[in-house]
Amino acid sequence: MAPDPAATPRQNVDPKDKPRIYGPFGLFRDPRLEFLSVTRLLAYAFSAVVMLFLAALVLSLLLGSLPIFREQGFWSFATKPEWNYRRQLFGAASMLYGTLVTSFVALLLAGPLGILSATFISEYLSGPLQSLIKQSVELLAAVPSVVYGLLGVITLRPLVHKGLGFLGAETGDTLLTGSLLLAIMILPTIMTLADDALRAVPKATREAAMALGLTRRESIWTVVWPRARSGLISAVLLGLGRALGETIAVFLVIGRSDSRLPKPLWDLSALLAPGQTLTSKLGSPELAISYSDPQHWSAILGLAFLLLVTVAVIMGLGLSLRRRPV
Amino acid sequence: MSAPLLTHRPLRRRLLDAGFYAVTALSALIGVFFLACILVMVASRGLSGVSWSFLTEDMSQSGAAGGIFYQLVGTLILVAATAVIVMPLAVSFALLNSEYIKSRRLRALSKSMLFLLNGVPSILFGVFGYLLFVKALGLGKSWLVGALMLAFMILPTVTVSVMEAIDRIPTLHREAAMALGLNPPKVIWSLVLPSSLQGLITGTLLGLGRAAGETAPIMFTAAVFSGVTVPDGVVDNPILAIPYHILNLAQDASSPEVLRNAWSSAFVLLALSLILNTLAWFLRRRAEGRRAI
Repeated sequence: MAPDPAATPRQNVDPKDKPRIYGPFGLFRDPRLEFLSVTRLLAYAFSAVVMLFLAALVLSLLLGSLPIFREQGFWSFATKPEWNYRRQLFGAASMLYGTLVTSFVALLLAGPLGILSATFISEYLSGPLQSLIKQSVELLAAVPSVVYGLLGVITLRPLVHKGLGFLGAETGDTLLTGSLLLAIMILPTIMTLADDALRAVPKATREAAMALGLTRRESIWTVVWPRARSGLISAVLLGLGRALGETIAVFLVIGRSDSRLPKPLWDLSALLAPGQTLTSKLGSPELAISYSDPQHWSAILGLAFLLLVTVAVIMGLGLSLRRRPV
Repeated sequence: MSAPLLTHRPLRRRLLDAGFYAVTALSALIGVFFLACILVMVASRGLSGVSWSFLTEDMSQSGAAGGIFYQLVGTLILVAATAVIVMPLAVSFALLNSEYIKSRRLRALSKSMLFLLNGVPSILFGVFGYLLFVKALGLGKSWLVGALMLAFMILPTVTVSVMEAIDRIPTLHREAAMALGLNPPKVIWSLVLPSSLQGLITGTLLGLGRAAGETAPIMFTAAVFSGVTVPDGVVDNPILAIPYHILNLAQDASSPEVLRNAWSSAFVLLALSLILNTLAWFLRRRAEGRRAI
């Protein structure tokens, strides 16, 4: 009787015939040594470098600012307006105010403008004109900030000085100038991202609304915008993030005047006076000066840490407000 | 899909429709106007100063005369070094996410780390680079440190581009590779990496377009205003860079010659940035066209 093939036990292969394909450079015959892949090791190693970098950045800022926090207390550091390193006074409140005011005013100006423009470009335009404008806007989102800074110095500063002098602006270097420049900077970003968000709404939805008899405006308000809401909020949020972190352009037009905190806080005339933001202080020559004095250096790192925390908190809040699309 | 004024609807709805059209059109006009102004201003004020001698001459009189040759050289060195540093890091991170990490929670965690890195303001890269590399490690101002900071700054952009490219690889191709007997590392080197090359290049070019124009990460870590030509090592070897040059010139805004040079430098920087971005866009369009076949 011929041996039943199904009952044949697995043939014992001569070890020398087993293929050598496992492990690094295919050195081993045992498939269990696959985990020694050099590729995997390299990928893990490089990725670890990236994560290490991020951790090192956050930790070094935190650890570097511990001395000043331990001496002054974090809350006092964040709420005292006086900053004068020659008199060892380190309070970040005026800079925090500058950062928040310039960014939010910029958002107030650029947000609605950006969304409305993007709505026009994606809903009412079509064909080659639409793609031309869209590409120009995308190209302009890539203009370096130092060029915006130069523009701010040459064009915006005299404009604010002469145009708003009657309101009390004594020079062109004001918080308002910074806000306006930031608004111009984040406008292309918001427009591009809002346009992407509006484009993501399927055409069929719009057509269904029109078929039901809604006018263009009604269909946009009741159908397109709600569907695109999370994308639109992201667009605005990313613009805000860019505004909060912008250094060079703000540095050039803000006046860099310390310890200015309006009393009361909502006094808008402070907008027409020079000021300071967290980023403009960090980008100033004071960073290199402060290295020799440990207290001063710790205070500067405290500003950096405060900036990081502020951006993280605001972006986190914004992201949590983003609800899922309707 | 036009006809904003429909004649057989109640007046209020027609007015609202037309009004909305007007408001959005006005916004778009204002938006595009600002942006056009920027381009026109840089072009009109800067183009006249850009010439072959401007690009190849050294700076003189603290920027009031001469050219930006070594600034251009410095920026190109930074761009090249950034590209070399960022590519392996981005590919590794993308591979980790798509091939090696199976747990969805870990993947989400690594994606959020990437978003976190993207949200860090650029000045903090400069501060951290100064703190760690220039001072604590004693490297002094160095072109390599600047490139390192720029590389980490653009890492999220490049990584996302590579991840998207890897996601586009059809499962069929992977299955075919495995059916042909390729083990996982070989699948990566023979299939995944070549297929994602286009995404890597596009993403890198986009990131470099941004990195070329950034000032904040390099002003404390790599750039000086004058006194250097070409680096001859790594430690204590700063370079000149166009964005930092413009920043310094902009602070001396009263002198018209300095201003003219500032505008010309801005024009060159914008042109460089635009070339990189347009190249990336062009390559992406070509790849999309090929994919559509």
